[in-house]
Amino acid sequence: MKFNPHFLGIFTDIYGSYDAMDIPKALLVALVGFLTVVSMLAVIALFIKLISFIFSSIEKKSASKVETLISPVENQKPRAESTGSALPETESQGELELIGVDEPTAAILMALVSYRTDIPLNRLIFRSIRLVEDE
Amino acid sequence: MLDLFANFSTVTFQQIAMWIIGGILIFLAIKKEMEPSLLLPMGFGAILINLPNSGAQHIIDVLFKFGISNDFGELMPLVLFIGIGAMIDFTPLLTNPKLMLFGAAAQFGIFFTMCLASFVGFDLHDAASIGIIGAADGPTAIAVSMELGSKYIGAIMVAAYSYMALVPLVQPPIIKLCTTKKERLIRMDNTAGKAPSKLTKILFPIVVTIIVGLVAPDAVALIGFLMFGNLIRECGVLNSLSETAQKVLANLITIFLGITIAARMRAEEFLTVDTLLIIGLGLFAFIFDTFAGIMLAKIMNLFSKKKINPMIGAAGISAFPMSARVVHKMGLEEDNQNFLLMHSIGVNVSGQIASVIAGGLILTFFR
Repeated sequence: MKFNPHFLGIFTDIYGSYDAMDIPKALLVALVGFLTVVSMLAVIALFIKLISFIFSSIEKKSASKVETLISPVENQKPRAESTGSALPETESQGELELIGVDEPTAAILMALVSYRTDIPLNRLIFRSIRLVEDE
Repeated sequence: MLDLFANFSTVTFQQIAMWIIGGILIFLAIKKEMEPSLLLPMGFGAILINLPNSGAQHIIDVLFKFGISNDFGELMPLVLFIGIGAMIDFTPLLTNPKLMLFGAAAQFGIFFTMCLASFVGFDLHDAASIGIIGAADGPTAIAVSMELGSKYIGAIMVAAYSYMALVPLVQPPIIKLCTTKKERLIRMDNTAGKAPSKLTKILFPIVVTIIVGLVAPDAVALIGFLMFGNLIRECGVLNSLSETAQKVLANLITIFLGITIAARMRAEEFLTVDTLLIIGLGLFAFIFDTFAGIMLAKIMNLFSKKKINPMIGAAGISAFPMSARVVHKMGLEEDNQNFLLMHSIGVNVSGQIASVIAGGLILTFFR
């Protein structure tokens, strides 16, 4: 029997020819094949988790460095951040001047900037958003 | 004058039957818009190849030899994978890697059908090639069945592409049968998960190729070309190549692929009881893919606090993006505020990867 030497070798025990298999052999082949696919995809999923974890911890570290650097300036204002508790990623606060722009449009613009730059909203500071009229 | 009509007398009933089959494929492509880019060329090719003393036979055979046969490494399906890879956005999957498991579960139909085909009496190579219909992925099915030397490639292709086109008809009844109304109403959080970084998106195709290549070396061509296409897309510096792969390359290959498949749709090869059996087994493969994906979601719900809508498991077959759309639409039919698209697309792209891995494993097992 010709057999691919790369694989685990289990199939040499399972079937002995390329003829139709009997029921137990077929079920075993199917089970091993299916479980191999599942386990390979589980490994890939774990890899994605691992990469995400590594990047988020790197991001957190660099963010804490940035916070340390800007803290003297930030402390001049009576802001909630100065209490020591970091804002959750989904929240933000501060004052923003809107000139000719309504709040929903401003929210969309801020979300877009955050998405495009890959910087969470709680780490972006918007001073003002102004409507620029076409000439 | 009689010479002009001499060819009429050589027409056989089998050839006429193939013209009708070709006509049906063209009808489904145009009227029902079912995978028109493939069913139409296949239908027309079936007519071309089955004309008596057809002058097209030679050129179609040449196209088959250079484009599909394993003499030249299944060129067309593999190159098509570059285009498919460039089309796929893995972001939903990278945001929620757990979805990967559904893609794996939905490959159950491949192995189940392989067993079934073997019981029916097909030899192991043909059984494995028939099972791969359940990959719901044309290029994988072509590559695997060619590599294993199956003589049923015409029937396998027709079954694979027809069922892919019929996903909106095949899947909903199975999904409804396997789920309760309460389960179909489960809402899933669309804000969960953090968007993956660009580096993750770039690393993903490279690492997947390495992992798959180490376990199933025969899958490297399939997964490698798919992931190469995706790398072109995600690297951010090859936008024009990415667009060419997605549009020009994919379209060009698709035109030739469909008509070239017809080389294996000659009446004497195609019109057999085996073809009917293969088409029936292909349906089993799709049904059990869908069933397994749903069942995995149900099992996960037993242990998970955050409930999963089991319908998304059905999107694990890699008929992309049709299956994801079907699930999303069914979710909206049950509850017009239940948006499952993000999750079902994630499952669907994981099915794409899983089907290629399954194809490669089958090659590794049986070649």
